[in-house]
Amino acid sequence: MKKTMTIIGVLALCLGLALPALAHSPICTCYDNGDGTITCEGGFSDGSSASGVNMYVKQGGKVLIKGAMNADSEFTFKKPTGKYLVEFDAGEGHAVLIDGKDIVE
Amino acid sequence: MKRMTAVMALAIIAVFAMSGAASAHFQLIYTPDAVYEKGQEIPLDLVFTHPFEAGHTMDMGKPQQFYVVHKGKKKDLMGTLKPIEWTSLTNKGKAYRSTGYKMRGMGDWVFVLVPEPYLEKEEGVYIQQITKMMVNVAGMPTDWDAELGLPAEIVALDKPYALWTGNVFRGIVKSNGKPVPFADVEVEYLNHPPVPGKDMFQKNALATAPQDSFVTGTIKTDANGMFTYAIPKAGWWGFCALGVGPDNKFKGKENSQDAVIWVKAVDMK
Repeated sequence: MKKTMTIIGVLALCLGLALPALAHSPICTCYDNGDGTITCEGGFSDGSSASGVNMYVKQGGKVLIKGAMNADSEFTFKKPTGKYLVEFDAGEGHAVLIDGKDIVE
Repeated sequence: MKRMTAVMALAIIAVFAMSGAASAHFQLIYTPDAVYEKGQEIPLDLVFTHPFEAGHTMDMGKPQQFYVVHKGKKKDLMGTLKPIEWTSLTNKGKAYRSTGYKMRGMGDWVFVLVPEPYLEKEEGVYIQQITKMMVNVAGMPTDWDAELGLPAEIVALDKPYALWTGNVFRGIVKSNGKPVPFADVEVEYLNHPPVPGKDMFQKNALATAPQDSFVTGTIKTDANGMFTYAIPKAGWWGFCALGVGPDNKFKGKENSQDAVIWVKAVDMK
């Protein structure tokens, strides 16, 4: 019984640790480096890091590039030709979509 | 006769008081907006003036330091400065403009100016106002609450760029990192914001003070070195903690090493 409680406690702790970002809004901005690459920076409105958050570059509904925010909450990728979308995916209700045409130098 | 002398004395005192109670010196780092959606280059004007009345603007010497802190990293901006002549409502003074620095990405950018001490000739003392002004891009908070280790510094407890009109702004006044209890802090409103694109203040005042006590507000820090001020009107507000820095001598004269911070409130619409 005690063990179960401990497990529940640990689970709650894990969830608690994983969750704080969800109480805040996700933020992501991207800019064109001018050398054929795009850099996106992410984070949360309480200042917490977006390190590890999944990033997708999509074109016509397909995923072109899949990656994740690095330790500095940054993700750099090769600029696709044509229309594209960048998705910062911090979980349900916490995705940010950025249209490629809004990404400028 | 005795009464007459007393009245005369009072009148003389009143005249002196009137002339002496002009607005306070404030080192300005001015940019029109404190928040942005995207990183960009923003205009930065360094002007040493009396912001409520946009009165006498002092000649600035070449700053000792001008830099920006973003995500904990410091970048020197001395190379971006060029001298300009600033027009106040009563004179022209030497000021500086920074151009060419572009904010990339998101977060807070804290601009810091350590000016050359200014000699206030009438009083024979120097004034050096170490000034912080910060802006934010995209809503990501990164550096606004950081203590930068300045000799005289106001550390913000509320985001200086995210204040509604009517919010309080709180700061801790520090001298070499230690809170300063019961320090005098002057508060002044940028009542004549610069004309966009021009090196001058606008002629129209945004507010009228009923009396000099309202031109420069004077408040004090509490026993823990903290001050609180409720912002009554949208726009830029400057806070200056007087003479709190340790470097109280310059070229053999007294130096008032002050800490200044600028905050901007916006109306809730």
